[in-house]
Amino acid sequence: MNATRALLAAALAVTVAIPVTACGSGSSAEDGRTLNVLIGANSIYPTEQKQWFADVSAKFQQQAGAKVTFETFASPTDELTKIQTSMLSGQGPDIYALGTTFTPTAYSTGAFVDLTADQWTKIGGRDRFLPATLGISGPDATHEVGIPFTSRPFVMAYNKELLAAAGIDKPASTWDGLRQQARQLTGAGRYGLAVAYGDGFDPWKFIWAMSIQAGNPLVSDGKARLTDPVTVRAYQTYLGWLATDKVVDPAATGWKNAQAIAAFGAGKAAFLPMVSATSKVTLDKSAVAGKYGYAVMPTVPPGATTLPPGGVGATSILSGDNLVIAKYSKNQDLALRLVNMLTTAESQEAYYRTFGELPTNAELANRLVADPALAAIVDSASKSHGTPFHGGWSKAQLALVNVVVQSVPKLAAGKVDDASLNALLTQAQSEVQAALDKAK
Amino acid sequence: MTVTDPATADAPGTGDARRAGVARPSPPRRRRGATAGGAAVWLLAPGGLLTLTVIVVPFVVALVMSLLDLDQYTFRQWLSAPFVGVDNYVEAVGRTSLPHAIWVSGSAAVIATLLALPLGVAAALTTHLPFRGRSLIRSLYLIPYVLPAFVVGTIWRIILQPDGVANQGLATVGITGGLWLNGPKSYLALIVVQAWSGWPLVYLLALAGLQGIDDSLHEAAALDGAQWRAKLRHLILPLLRPPVALAAIISLLHMVNSFTLPFVLFGVPSPHDVEVLPVLTYVESFQNLRFGLSAAMAVISLVLILVPLLVYLRTVRLDEPEAAA
Repeated sequence: MNATRALLAAALAVTVAIPVTACGSGSSAEDGRTLNVLIGANSIYPTEQKQWFADVSAKFQQQAGAKVTFETFASPTDELTKIQTSMLSGQGPDIYALGTTFTPTAYSTGAFVDLTADQWTKIGGRDRFLPATLGISGPDATHEVGIPFTSRPFVMAYNKELLAAAGIDKPASTWDGLRQQARQLTGAGRYGLAVAYGDGFDPWKFIWAMSIQAGNPLVSDGKARLTDPVTVRAYQTYLGWLATDKVVDPAATGWKNAQAIAAFGAGKAAFLPMVSATSKVTLDKSAVAGKYGYAVMPTVPPGATTLPPGGVGATSILSGDNLVIAKYSKNQDLALRLVNMLTTAESQEAYYRTFGELPTNAELANRLVADPALAAIVDSASKSHGTPFHGGWSKAQLALVNVVVQSVPKLAAGKVDDASLNALLTQAQSEVQAALDKAK
Repeated sequence: MTVTDPATADAPGTGDARRAGVARPSPPRRRRGATAGGAAVWLLAPGGLLTLTVIVVPFVVALVMSLLDLDQYTFRQWLSAPFVGVDNYVEAVGRTSLPHAIWVSGSAAVIATLLALPLGVAAALTTHLPFRGRSLIRSLYLIPYVLPAFVVGTIWRIILQPDGVANQGLATVGITGGLWLNGPKSYLALIVVQAWSGWPLVYLLALAGLQGIDDSLHEAAALDGAQWRAKLRHLILPLLRPPVALAAIISLLHMVNSFTLPFVLFGVPSPHDVEVLPVLTYVESFQNLRFGLSAAMAVISLVLILVPLLVYLRTVRLDEPEAAA
């Protein structure tokens, strides 16, 4: 058996060694003075990102005498492939920038450094960060792998002109109120809401928000709660906007997020809920430039006028990026020094000025609150809540989106079919529960 | 494979690659001849090593993975992941939508191939004989073939979206197009797009077949007073059968295995009607992180692919003596 295992290990080494050596980005083990960082490619600011890489590397060389090389991934698949290859071969990037909702899954692999108190001190202490941003760093405050790096809270864009013309002074703070305003604003070729029902990523975020506001976090104590009545109601509300309320363009059944932003940018919709502030770049170049504002999304669940008992007034998921350090890294101390450098108020300000992503550094965030243009976004950041911290969460996300995808044909026919919705949710519930049960 | 063996090059009857099959009656002697040279076998070593690295090793790894409970929790020490025997296979067949995905992939590939065949043959017939601008038409025909699947998927997604060109066109003739990228009609969309990107392969092979038909046969048919319809039916189409059959099998394999096109066209999670096998395997591995289960699915699809593949290999072997005869 041992011989077989050795043989298999050798075989695997051959298969993984090819892609690993092909990366050729300078292994960290090479000279011990090079740090590799894997980060998502910024498609909006590619040139600025290259410059930022160079600046960081130069500064770190000065501070610590070590070089930093950056590798980018273009998609979550790219990212996962890289993580898997590195985990198996025990070599690869020293630091990864991971999306917050992926952090629980990454944590469950046990491949990343669980920060000790001493290590936290080396990166300026937990106090350096906005308390909310630490909410998805680990299962509890003593087991954390993720160091908050950027924050992308969800807000809702609204067309000031359209609202003013309809005599609406500000966006509603309840989902029922928003539906009412959307109805009022629908007509003359315009729709109240721009919603991307065909998006492969976003739909679950609405369901999560409405559910947690009504007191159901979807997953708690290892139990999936996808068939909970408040979640069913969340789906009915979300799908109903198009099917029964008719406040969304029927073409939205095929829209991805970018098309919803485009529709809002063309002035064809009054509200654009659940977008990050990164839509600002697109909107400032669109027909609604100067005519739109951002507000936090409703925090009172459908069917209610105030937050119910047990409900959480979440405006956003704790969205953004966490930095994690690979356990296999031979340069963990050096990695901590780089993380320390990247999370200072000064570095975070440079990052915010370049890419428009909000800081996780408490000192800087508190300074930015004073900026009226950012008020809604900073407010949303402070009212963000983490998704359930569970290794099986990625399955839950996918299952939640799948319910929307499979409901789209009915949606296009103008109805929310409760029977098929319940069937889809029952199936999603059992799939998610199976994923939760597999947690080790 | 035998034709690559230089040791047999001077053996009687094997000098001509096209006649490799003819020399089959005396394989044992040729084998001895090959090993007698000693060094000659080593010439195959690079190819053998490459085959081992590129095909055998990943296959063995996949096979082993499919027997383990390999997921994000166990991936780091995958050799010590719990051995679960055929559990992954049982789960794949019984508790996932694998059977449905096999049906979708298989049936759509068969229908799309059947659609692509007449299109490809007709296109080949139109560009067989010389005329002004023939090379331009030939180049145009190849456009769907040279476009990357990612581009094809993106273009068709734009065409087929609810307020896209397809529905606008249909609306002008009074037809409400509706949803093409989700719901029952998405299956139709998958077939149409696959056929669209697949017919140039049939066209290429059919054209090659047409060009290969000896002029004397055309002349003989003309002398016998055959009209074009009779010529087509009794001369051209029968002679086209081997290359077109080959095209059908290759395109079938290609369509069953197609990942990028459905992935880009419909996205993930896939609409139920177009949840194809490669996308399902991808989702289990890269989104649900069930590597063991996904490996089992991959092995099952490999076995399924083997059926047309074996037919293909047989066709390739049988073709040559037939063509030579």
